[in-house]
Amino acid sequence: MRMIAVFEKSERLRHIGHLDIQRAVQRGLRRSNLPVAYSQGFNPHILVHFASALSTGACGEREIMDVSMAEDVTEKEFLNRMNAAMPPEMQLKEARAVDQKHPALMAMLAAAEYDILVRDNASAAQLTQAVPLLLKAEHFTTVRKTKTGMKDCDIRPLIHELYADGTHIHAILKLTEKEACKPQMLLSALQQLAGMPESAVPELRVLIVRTALYGTDADGKLAPLEKL
Amino acid sequence: MNLNDRIELLLEKVQKAPRYSGGEMNTAVKNWEQAQLHFAFCFPDTYEIGMSHLGMKILYGLINREDWSLCERFFMPWVDMLALMEAENVPLFSMESRRPLNEFDVVGFTLQYEMSYSNILAMLRLGNIPLLSSERKEKDPIIVAGGPCAFNPEPLADFIDAFMIGDGEDVMTELNRVILRRKTEGISREKCLRELSRLEGVYVPSLYDVLYYEDGRIQAVIPKEAGVPATVRKRVVPDLNNTYYPESIPVPYTEVVFDRIMLEIMRGCTRGCRFCQAGILYRPVRERSMEKLIDLAEKLVRSTGYEEISLSSLSSGDYSCLPELIRELMKRMKDQRVSISLPSLRIDSVLKESLEETQQVKKSSLTFAPEAGTQRLRDVINKGVTEEDLLEKVRDAFEGGWSSVKLYFMDGLPTETNLDLEGIADLARKVVAEYFKLPKAQRAKGLRVTVSASTFVPKPFTPFQWAAQDTIPKIREKQEYLKQLLSIKGVRFNWHEPYLSFLEACFARGDRRLGKVLLSASESGCMLDGWNDQFNFEKWMEAFRSNGLDPAFYANRTRDRDEVLPWDHIDCGITKAYLWHEKEKSERAETTRDCRLGCNGCGLQRWEGVCSYANDRSI
Repeated sequence: MRMIAVFEKSERLRHIGHLDIQRAVQRGLRRSNLPVAYSQGFNPHILVHFASALSTGACGEREIMDVSMAEDVTEKEFLNRMNAAMPPEMQLKEARAVDQKHPALMAMLAAAEYDILVRDNASAAQLTQAVPLLLKAEHFTTVRKTKTGMKDCDIRPLIHELYADGTHIHAILKLTEKEACKPQMLLSALQQLAGMPESAVPELRVLIVRTALYGTDADGKLAPLEKL
Repeated sequence: MNLNDRIELLLEKVQKAPRYSGGEMNTAVKNWEQAQLHFAFCFPDTYEIGMSHLGMKILYGLINREDWSLCERFFMPWVDMLALMEAENVPLFSMESRRPLNEFDVVGFTLQYEMSYSNILAMLRLGNIPLLSSERKEKDPIIVAGGPCAFNPEPLADFIDAFMIGDGEDVMTELNRVILRRKTEGISREKCLRELSRLEGVYVPSLYDVLYYEDGRIQAVIPKEAGVPATVRKRVVPDLNNTYYPESIPVPYTEVVFDRIMLEIMRGCTRGCRFCQAGILYRPVRERSMEKLIDLAEKLVRSTGYEEISLSSLSSGDYSCLPELIRELMKRMKDQRVSISLPSLRIDSVLKESLEETQQVKKSSLTFAPEAGTQRLRDVINKGVTEEDLLEKVRDAFEGGWSSVKLYFMDGLPTETNLDLEGIADLARKVVAEYFKLPKAQRAKGLRVTVSASTFVPKPFTPFQWAAQDTIPKIREKQEYLKQLLSIKGVRFNWHEPYLSFLEACFARGDRRLGKVLLSASESGCMLDGWNDQFNFEKWMEAFRSNGLDPAFYANRTRDRDEVLPWDHIDCGITKAYLWHEKEKSERAETTRDCRLGCNGCGLQRWEGVCSYANDRSI
């Protein structure tokens, strides 16, 4: 049996990197004393996987972990015991028991939803004006940092949904193992279109919140990953 | 914008922001209003160092356990964060509720090493608290300090209102109760400090006058008024089994230096190595019972989720039933995949059996500390370890599958000659030879012998407290010679520049006048001196010059038997006469037995019932 659980990475923890979040979850699982499965080998670790690594600097409202259990437990028990064992900054919201054969979450991942708060009002107004320009374009190339250097990337086809609402920018962006538009890439595109200088993101004083992760349902439509 | 939002903005711009995030598991989030007394625990170094410190975890738990008191943590920000905080007027804030330092009733610093003193000043400044004790007003917190360096409190006398000397577990609560009365009964700062000075183990430096001779030596240290004790006796918790130990400790998100459960199996050490200050300060030796330790280990594993426990003490190999303890812990922790490690192995401990057991879970490099290269010098420092012992343990380790060995030495020990340095290289060569004596099929691949030499710093309350430290040129010369000697295949040599050790020697045995040097250095920007890239020796020397003081007076001068030492009014339990006797024996290269084998009359026998190995014999 596997347990798919939705958890929060709070604003206070947004600078904690993915590896540290993974370790915090491992330790939380150990504290919970739930019957989790361990890997074999010299340094056994708990078999827990994450649907997607959340970048350092962003917080998440509905991040997803996938825990292999050695024995069956109820969803309720899993939630209760984990929430007693996790810090207030990383509480679990939902848990769903699935069969061992349930596909890997990472392979099902299709998109992510973001709520980007631009704290600086003037910048927010400028970025808002750039939103229709980006939506109107058929292609928009921006650079993406990869392990091997900077790569051009057409982000327009990777945008499922985009609108601005006051100081918030709302977006659903493609996120698969092969192709992804990171929120930083979207912001940089909007900055370019707004004619704003290539200032660093900290100057905009943005807060990136990942609010949901999606897969695709039988009809090919985006659907919450934890429900699939 | 509120302070929290202003802090969040700074965190966008700094390296290693998680250092300042807070929100870790098991960090007490206590209601501010419900607690009457607010204690700021300050570790005067970075988060990664401070979160590795056991004493902080003990006192943090102890203060938060009481419903009337609350404790939050503060660390020294790194230079980038510090600059931003100054520029944006963000005060030093706590990790838990992000409140400014000066909103707390008590600000407590732990003094683990002398080279963190400049950080104390930087943290007070950033906390908007007057640096000088004499300039603090009624509204300011009471600034206290404890830890090993508090045994010579004098260099910090201008800045710290009250020092706690010795074990902190009992005196901490007593001190907090007195300070609480400042709030509840409205007693003045002055009266509060006077009352603190009445507590056993508390030293209030402003209540003492220091008289000097013209040449700078101390004539006398005298209480300013009746009722202030002429000597302050250290606190000792007699029985560790009845002493508070946390059952839950904060678990950081980011990796810190010691990211594991530290289980203090005993306090104190009976060996009597003559260079070792901790070995004197933490006397007498006291063990925690096996039952207590196993209970604590199980509770700590459950509350933290840590995957590793280290058994911690000055000399874990001396714990009376170590193999049984390790076997029992391993048996109970196996299913939870918790590994057990022994950090301070002594090479003459009964360990062969234990070694085989540790390896069953994890194999790391083994550390040995012969400290000196020849038997003569090891006898001088009373390091009761022979070459045969060392080589036997190394052989066991290699046979057991280890291939990585660390050897710790000191250079600049009293009476050291080139022969002793050559002895270090000989020993390293013999360790390498032990490895190659094993048939190839039996030994683990990748031999790595790391030889580290640190520069000897004479410390207060040791038989070497009267000794001169080697001058910087002399140390450099010795290091150069060692470097040549140790270009051996399979051996790596580590050493440190002697400048920091020189300054450490000044402050370790410094007097009250060094407060001015510290203040000048801090004003010129000195901080984070323990970090190579931040340490600025020239600025420190300039601080000595501008205050008309000679660092060599403190570091490189041999003291006479009858000189009043700056810490003579602190009683650590071990008498000056005993230390002098040990000094004389060291000059004859005569060893002193482990006091478990018979009382040597160090002075603790004067304190009834404190030391279980003491008898009436005195010297």
